[in-house]
Amino acid sequence: MADDKIITPQKFIEELRRFQKGSVTRRHFLGVTGLGVATAVLGGAMPGLKPRKAYAALSGTVNLTTWPNYHNQENLDAFTKKTGVTINMNVFGSNEEMLAKLQAGSTGWDVFVPTNYTISTYKGLDLIEPLDLKLLPNYDVASQDQRFTSEGTIDGTVYAVPKNWGTTGFVINTKNVTQNPTSWKEFWDLTKGPLSGRVMVHDYQLTTIGNALKYFGYSFNSNDEKQLAEAEKLMLEAKPHLFAINSDYQPSMRNGDAWVSVAWTGDATQLHRDLPEIQYVLGKEGGEIWTDYFAIPKGAANKDAAYALIDWLLTPEINAKEVQAHGYPSTDARTNKLVSKEMLENPILYPAKDLLTNLEFGAAATLTNPLRAEIMARFKSA
Amino acid sequence: MPQLAPISRSKTVTALLVAPAGLFFFFLLVLPLIVVVIYSFGARADAGGYAPAFTLDNYANLPARGQAFFNTLTLAPLGTLLTALFAYPLAYFLAVKASPKSRTLLLVLVIVPFWTSQLLRYYAWIMILGSKGIPSWLAYLGISDLRIINTPWAVLIGAVYGFLPLMVLPIYVSLEKLDKRLLEASADLGANSWRSFLQVTLPLSLPGVATGSMLVFILLMGEYILPQLLGGGKVFFIGNALVDLFLQSRNWPFGAAVSTALVAIMFVTIVIYMRFVLSRGDVRRAALV
Amino acid sequence: MTQTIVPDISFRAVSKRYGEVRAVDRVDLDLPKGSFVSLLGPSGCGKTTCLRMMAGFEQPSEGEVFIRGDNVTGVPAYKRPVNMVFQHYALFPHLNVADNVSYGLRQRSPKPPREAVAKAVDEALAMVRLQGYGQRRTWELSGGQQQRVALARALINRPAVLLLDEPLAALDRKLRHDMQIELQNLQRNVGITFLLVTHDQEEALSMSDRVCIMKDGRLVQTGTPRELYDEPVNGYVADFVGKSNFFAGIAGNARSGLIDVALADGMKATGRASRSTVSPEAGEAVLVSVRPEQIRLAAAETDLPNQVAFRTQAKVLNRIFLGEQTEYLVAHEKLGEFMVRSPRQGNQALAFEIGDRVAVGWPPDAALILAKD
Repeated sequence: MADDKIITPQKFIEELRRFQKGSVTRRHFLGVTGLGVATAVLGGAMPGLKPRKAYAALSGTVNLTTWPNYHNQENLDAFTKKTGVTINMNVFGSNEEMLAKLQAGSTGWDVFVPTNYTISTYKGLDLIEPLDLKLLPNYDVASQDQRFTSEGTIDGTVYAVPKNWGTTGFVINTKNVTQNPTSWKEFWDLTKGPLSGRVMVHDYQLTTIGNALKYFGYSFNSNDEKQLAEAEKLMLEAKPHLFAINSDYQPSMRNGDAWVSVAWTGDATQLHRDLPEIQYVLGKEGGEIWTDYFAIPKGAANKDAAYALIDWLLTPEINAKEVQAHGYPSTDARTNKLVSKEMLENPILYPAKDLLTNLEFGAAATLTNPLRAEIMARFKSA
Repeated sequence: MPQLAPISRSKTVTALLVAPAGLFFFFLLVLPLIVVVIYSFGARADAGGYAPAFTLDNYANLPARGQAFFNTLTLAPLGTLLTALFAYPLAYFLAVKASPKSRTLLLVLVIVPFWTSQLLRYYAWIMILGSKGIPSWLAYLGISDLRIINTPWAVLIGAVYGFLPLMVLPIYVSLEKLDKRLLEASADLGANSWRSFLQVTLPLSLPGVATGSMLVFILLMGEYILPQLLGGGKVFFIGNALVDLFLQSRNWPFGAAVSTALVAIMFVTIVIYMRFVLSRGDVRRAALV
Repeated sequence: MTQTIVPDISFRAVSKRYGEVRAVDRVDLDLPKGSFVSLLGPSGCGKTTCLRMMAGFEQPSEGEVFIRGDNVTGVPAYKRPVNMVFQHYALFPHLNVADNVSYGLRQRSPKPPREAVAKAVDEALAMVRLQGYGQRRTWELSGGQQQRVALARALINRPAVLLLDEPLAALDRKLRHDMQIELQNLQRNVGITFLLVTHDQEEALSMSDRVCIMKDGRLVQTGTPRELYDEPVNGYVADFVGKSNFFAGIAGNARSGLIDVALADGMKATGRASRSTVSPEAGEAVLVSVRPEQIRLAAAETDLPNQVAFRTQAKVLNRIFLGEQTEYLVAHEKLGEFMVRSPRQGNQALAFEIGDRVAVGWPPDAALILAKD
């Protein structure tokens, strides 16, 4: 069909609008380009944007560092209206980047959203505050699944509270892909074979190497040199067949250039919502499950407002609106009760139990392993 | 009260005039560069970043990014050459053929793309070069299943598109100030318009080509968004290696060593270029006239 | 049948229009072989356009251009056997002197051998007295030297005609005078037809065999410098070529080559018609043109020489000492102010003081009766 093949002006404009509205995820793309850092540096450098210390009541600005498309603007506006505190939001591309920025110091951040495997590193480098749960009355440990909270608590002290969780699987466009893959083995074999030139992997060593390890049935977190060597060989074999190595996979999936891509829950939700033929698959060998947390960096200037904002966003009624917007499942049972039935039954957000059991949380050592970094560099430059 | 002698007053004025640029260069160029060089002899801290040390390991390790250097050092000159090949006819048309009335409009049109975000424009190219863009049109001509996006060719196309104005403008300037009487003199002496172009216009506009090429080459050497977006992450430049080293694996000392090597390569290139231009006094003169 | 010598360049009813403006208006022109011709006129008179139509940079709107008998109308510049020396020389800045000079030879097909080119360049540089300057950069040379490079660059091609576009305008006064002589010598030595475009009448008169005077796109008069000076076709030429005094009048009857003219307030004068044009009819409005050096001054009318027919009284307004001559500005109550140049006569050169009343007059053959333009 002609109109299916050619990109029409109308379609181009639609894509453009999508980009402008920000419904296309920029999370990892921003990480790669470093734009997140630029935004953060600018935000920190502008004296007018620096938070002022609150005395009696809440006031001033709270600097929230988070991921793109990760909040419901209504909720943020309501917070400002209620407390008089302006929210200054910085969006970032990657955990490593957040870490790099915090390590460099003087960020001016009050609240940020690290992923599970980074929290111990922050604690080790003394970059985050222990949290006083008394100041978070709407956070209820009892309503949380323990495996989503454990990595926020180190040696009995709570450093971070969970925001939401998600998984890393792959999306397939069922219009073009008829093989119905269900495993990472099939994912890589199809890449090297019939789907050559149509598959994308993340520009992110944690998931790309992790899912290559899953091909052989190894742990997602393996740091074993021999196993990593096997994964590298697989990746190098697949490289010429890949459409792209890019964490910003929504545009290519949407315009049909890519038929398969490694994907996170929320992106899968958004893609499926717009293009029902795009399905989300969790490899049956396993893969990654993760949790994003709220935390307060050391030296946050407006701590009172930081606590107030976290508490506000974790309030079940508010959090349910958040979930509705970003498409990632909440960790809070109270919130889940308030989320629409449609969403609760969506297998992208809430996969079947047997699929979840094989998933692993990424480990801090997985992320910081220099060998993995080198393997990724060799893979990309090959 | 003794008055300031004119000479010292003019020295004060000179110092004041030089100060902003001097401070700018010192604090934003020289100082960071010194920091980068110091870091390049350090070691990676356990959790990433920099730990003080003195080692040459980072430089010894440079071959680990050899492919990135190779890609950059082949694609940057090639991209520069292609940009020059596309820019020259355009600049020539603007400077020589276009009517004065339409010239301003056309010049503005050359610059207009710069008003839009570079990201947005590269995203547009992702679609244009994607399978529903140009390849689908070529399919009608019988050239089927052509892959452009996420290949080095897409990066080159993006380079030509993105840097064209930077090349067009200096060439335009050198062509525009070319004395038209020289072309009449050439014709008068028996050269047809093609020979006049080769013997007069081209050599006299080479300074513009050299300036534009230098600009484009330097920017391409440091490019990382372009290979990331139009190369789909499969075309790996030094810039991409640096982003990974600083922001992903956070191996700052190795990143600093790669940066230092990149700066050194560019420095050598510019020195060679300057020598070439300065040794050709006639060209320099022509550029100044 | 007489054998006619074909002119090097001929214009036949050539016109050039730019929109509504006629820059050149039906010009007929012949450049005889081996001549030195000047196109003289004020800026905007069309002389440069004529030159550019000869070179081939412009093509005529109407009419035809011939070079040595070949119709070259529409032929582009690079195919014409003429060469030009540009006003600002237009030397190629990226080439040294030798490469500038050899440029024309190197455009030929087949290319002449390298040694032949080198030899021709040496000869051309010797001709303009620039031996050994071959490797110099053109911008290192003085204005006069650049001028000579431009000449060598054109002459090396042995063109049918050398076109010179105000070539001396950029030089200082002393150098200009030297170059005038040098150009004349050069032209005599090489025997090539020179066409000089200039607005400087002195330059045109002193250098050329023939001068063509242009005005408003038209060719007003062509002739030797002497013809133009002594026999101008109208007041415009008389005024442009040398200085002259003009008195308006009405032509009367002609008798034995002389014409009576009624000047202002019933004064009568006699003069002759220019040999370059037909005599004015009786009753026609005319100008009486008298060169300042033809007017005689004396203390009293009786002191004026016998042949002086027209005599009257005037008052000295100003006096300028010019060495061999003295220039007086005198005022007549009816005829207005006019200029007189008197040669130095013994010791009484400055015979008249400002404010003196003097007798003035001129002989009949000194007064030219010209049509008003």
